Amino acid sequence: MPDLSAFFASMGHQALYLFLYILRILVPVLTLIIVIKCYRSVKLGRRPAEPVIMLEEVTTHARFPVLYWENSIGRSRSCDIVLPDATMSRDHAVLMRREEGWFIIDTNSKAGTFVNGKKLKPTARAHIHPGDTIAMGSSALTLRQTSLSDLKMKRFSMLGPGQRGASPFATFVLMIIVQMLMAIQCCFAPQEEDAIFTPLPLLLLGALLVIDIAFYLFSMKGLNRVSFEVETVALLFSGIGLFLLAGDSMDVALTQLAAMFLGILVFCILIWFMGDLERVTKWRLPLAVCAVGLLAITLVIGTSINGSKNWIFLGPISIQPSELAKILFIFGGAATLDKLQTTRNLTEFIVLAALCGGCLVLMKDLGSAAVFFVTFLIIAFMRSGSIRTVALACSAVVIGLFMFLKAKPYAAARFLGWRHVWEHINDNYGYQQSRTLTYAASGGFFGTGLGNGYLHNVAAGNSDLVFGMMTEELGLLLALVTAAAVVLWIFYVRSDVTRSRSTFYSISACAAAGILLFQSLLNIFGPLDVIPLTGVTLPFISAGGSSMISVWGMVAFIKASDERTYAVRKRKR
Amino acid sequence: MKTTGIRSFILYILTAAFIGCMGFFLFELFSDGDNWAMQPYNQHLVAGGQLTWAGSISDRNGTLLVGSEDGVRSYNSDAGIRTATVHTVGDKNGYISTGVQLVYRPQLSGYNPIFGVTTMTGKTTGGNITLTIDSSLCETALNLLGSQKGAVIIYDYTTGDVLCKVSTPAFDPENIPEDIEDNDQYKGAYLDRTISSSFTPGSTFKVITAACAIEHLSDWQERTYTCTGSTTINGEKITCMGQHGEIGLEAAMGVSCNVYFAELASDLGKDAMTQTANEMGFNQAQKLDEIVVAASTYDVSDADENALAWSGIGQYTTLVTPYHMMRIMGAIANNGVPIEPRLVSTMGGASLGNYTADITTGNRMMSEETAQALQRLLRSDVENYYNSNMFPSSLEVCAKTGTAEVGEGKEDTGWVAGYCANPETPYAFAVVVEEGGFGSSSAAPIASQLLQQLAGW
Repeated sequence: MPDLSAFFASMGHQALYLFLYILRILVPVLTLIIVIKCYRSVKLGRRPAEPVIMLEEVTTHARFPVLYWENSIGRSRSCDIVLPDATMSRDHAVLMRREEGWFIIDTNSKAGTFVNGKKLKPTARAHIHPGDTIAMGSSALTLRQTSLSDLKMKRFSMLGPGQRGASPFATFVLMIIVQMLMAIQCCFAPQEEDAIFTPLPLLLLGALLVIDIAFYLFSMKGLNRVSFEVETVALLFSGIGLFLLAGDSMDVALTQLAAMFLGILVFCILIWFMGDLERVTKWRLPLAVCAVGLLAITLVIGTSINGSKNWIFLGPISIQPSELAKILFIFGGAATLDKLQTTRNLTEFIVLAALCGGCLVLMKDLGSAAVFFVTFLIIAFMRSGSIRTVALACSAVVIGLFMFLKAKPYAAARFLGWRHVWEHINDNYGYQQSRTLTYAASGGFFGTGLGNGYLHNVAAGNSDLVFGMMTEELGLLLALVTAAAVVLWIFYVRSDVTRSRSTFYSISACAAAGILLFQSLLNIFGPLDVIPLTGVTLPFISAGGSSMISVWGMVAFIKASDERTYAVRKRKR
Repeated sequence: MKTTGIRSFILYILTAAFIGCMGFFLFELFSDGDNWAMQPYNQHLVAGGQLTWAGSISDRNGTLLVGSEDGVRSYNSDAGIRTATVHTVGDKNGYISTGVQLVYRPQLSGYNPIFGVTTMTGKTTGGNITLTIDSSLCETALNLLGSQKGAVIIYDYTTGDVLCKVSTPAFDPENIPEDIEDNDQYKGAYLDRTISSSFTPGSTFKVITAACAIEHLSDWQERTYTCTGSTTINGEKITCMGQHGEIGLEAAMGVSCNVYFAELASDLGKDAMTQTANEMGFNQAQKLDEIVVAASTYDVSDADENALAWSGIGQYTTLVTPYHMMRIMGAIANNGVPIEPRLVSTMGGASLGNYTADITTGNRMMSEETAQALQRLLRSDVENYYNSNMFPSSLEVCAKTGTAEVGEGKEDTGWVAGYCANPETPYAFAVVVEEGGFGSSSAAPIASQLLQQLAGW
């Protein structure tokens, strides 16, 4: 396109520079607006915290509101429904909603649970209807409907008027505009043949928009979902990352786009898969075994790149199974409330975590091992609530790490440069960190321009060091907004945690958000020399196909924890 | 469900860690970002290793030494000026680590925490720097040194302005010799010998030994030693250039009697000698503005009696930078307290604000009495002992020459260090000529010529 190039050259170098500078200010501002709008819209659009049904004590007529999808009943104060009845077990039973209606499960109580006078088998669930009487200890409760459940018990679409929040369409359009602005910047990235303008990024944008819009239509029209905010934020940052990479190499960007497409497929499949909790419960164990299997296979037939044996080459495709194992690991850890009440110990999960962690340490993939460990801590704590378990696990790992470093001193060498990078600017201990700091500082708040950086020339510049690359080329402002968005995932997940359809969704969403945050922490602050350097990827942004797919998997867990994800789908049936 | 909700607070621990790390990073970025960005490998500042967009550097008369035009860095059009000032200004590749262009890169390239190294228009807002040096004086010094390796540094001891600062071998930064790496002629060309090289001081160090005697011996004025052409201390001989017989301090300084100062150092002892040397700035980091100067060393902790005696005449392991020797001379001229030398006189630019150097006083190096005694001794050297043609008498030069043995089969290093007592020409100087032989014939004429040019003759 020599003509366009000449046209832009005639615009004058200065004017063009100023134009791109303004775009670099506009992008983070719009990005922040989208992220905040999505967050607010989710908060506005969710079900009010009012009881769906009530339990009524037969003799005293005391009413107990049933607030959640899964409710523990017992005399313990930690229960969702606390009955002051000394003859009950501390955690007596679980009252829960499934697609078919309300169920009660006796969670190994001493006195047993009776429905209409019939004793339940322990851990077997019984369907109950309004008017049924549940006897536990010396209490007897009946199920009563509230005004909210007037409609039909099966429906759980609780969206009253004015509670839809902002339309996801407006933020979706805004997100597309940001992607366009990124593509325009990318068109002016420095070219090899000295041309000022290249139209290639517009083709990339075209492909991206097709994916965006198809995904939107499929979700909103095809599946009739009410929300698209989580997906919008994920698409937004995937797009920003995509063009950041394209500014350096179009080939990398194409791979990234393909991975993003696959990631969205994985997202859709996971959402479908998790729709049926029975199915999830059935497959949990096999999936967990798969996680260990994947890692074990990598250990046997994997290939080492940069010292970590975590790659498998399948013809022209290379994958990092440890990324995919993260998804399976969450399945292995999360569980429904009745399972949490009946299987108190964590042995099964600890064995799973130890096997996964062991494989990763043997692969010398310390970054992933750390991510798995933190995931383990989050799930273990959410399941057991035991600070002792967490403390024990931490000390076990610290002792293990100490012995490992003692036995293999060379592994300790990677920590040598930490907080001493300026003494190591030309050797392996500080080269990457010092370059990251230098180029990140060079970018200032608004960056030097897409493709106008030098950090991408450093090894792993567009993956492990990508936060520095982003700061250099697109500015600290956008980098901070990206980091803030990761933190906002946590707040989002936390705010929705008791509204999920099951503790399975709550725990898995917390684990997924924790993974996103912890991986960001390692990726961002390792190269910036705040913490020791470990090679992990920045969610959505870093180049890496397996990582992109895995991140979309994490987003699926977060999406699934929103009860509306499944509610509206059923309305259409 | 409620319990699960409460337990999810564990995520906030992680969030707090994340936010804490971010805060720490931002704090470091804002307090240290300029140092991070100003690295010699930062390609935003140097294209192909070269500074591109940056402010200019001029000398005290406004002569442009280096500047940027359309993203190209170019030096003064005169090859002589370019070569004479290359060590002070710095080369394009940043190999001369003490060059102003490298040390003042943040100021020249206009880094600030908001814009990094960029601006809205793509052009730098970096500041311009004016130096205190006089480029034509530097050119004269370069010509006087000729093909000899050496260093010349002169400053005004009343203001601190460094007027002349030249190191050879030098090279033209616009036409770097292709054989600069291999040719012996250019060995050490990237080193600024005035501040980065420390030399064996030889007899110029006798000034420090004398200062030590004045401060520690009450009988220093009457004290004599007998020179028979050599003396044996701790079983080993120290030789003298002549046989001076019974000799006192003033004459010993004038004829530079080795025996006298060897015996004197031996009598003063390690502690007194080390104390005086440290007071004068030996064994300490020194700076010329922001530029790091190599430390001078005087270390007799492992020396035997003989080695201590050698140290008293500026041999043994003693090393001094020309810059430091000049500073000591400035302190003597100023009655013991040096006016700190300065190289950057002004800095200004959009992002910098304006900076004008102040006159700053350094730490006292010696008592006023000692300084005045040394003034008389050094003046007596020139008046009574040195060739009367060495310096024009009206400058009232006070100086000490030196001829330092360096071994390794090399010719001696010629030194002269001193100052003009005439308040019209308040200049302190140090000149070193490597393998120049006698300081009186190699270094002193160069100093004399430059002082005359400075005096306006």
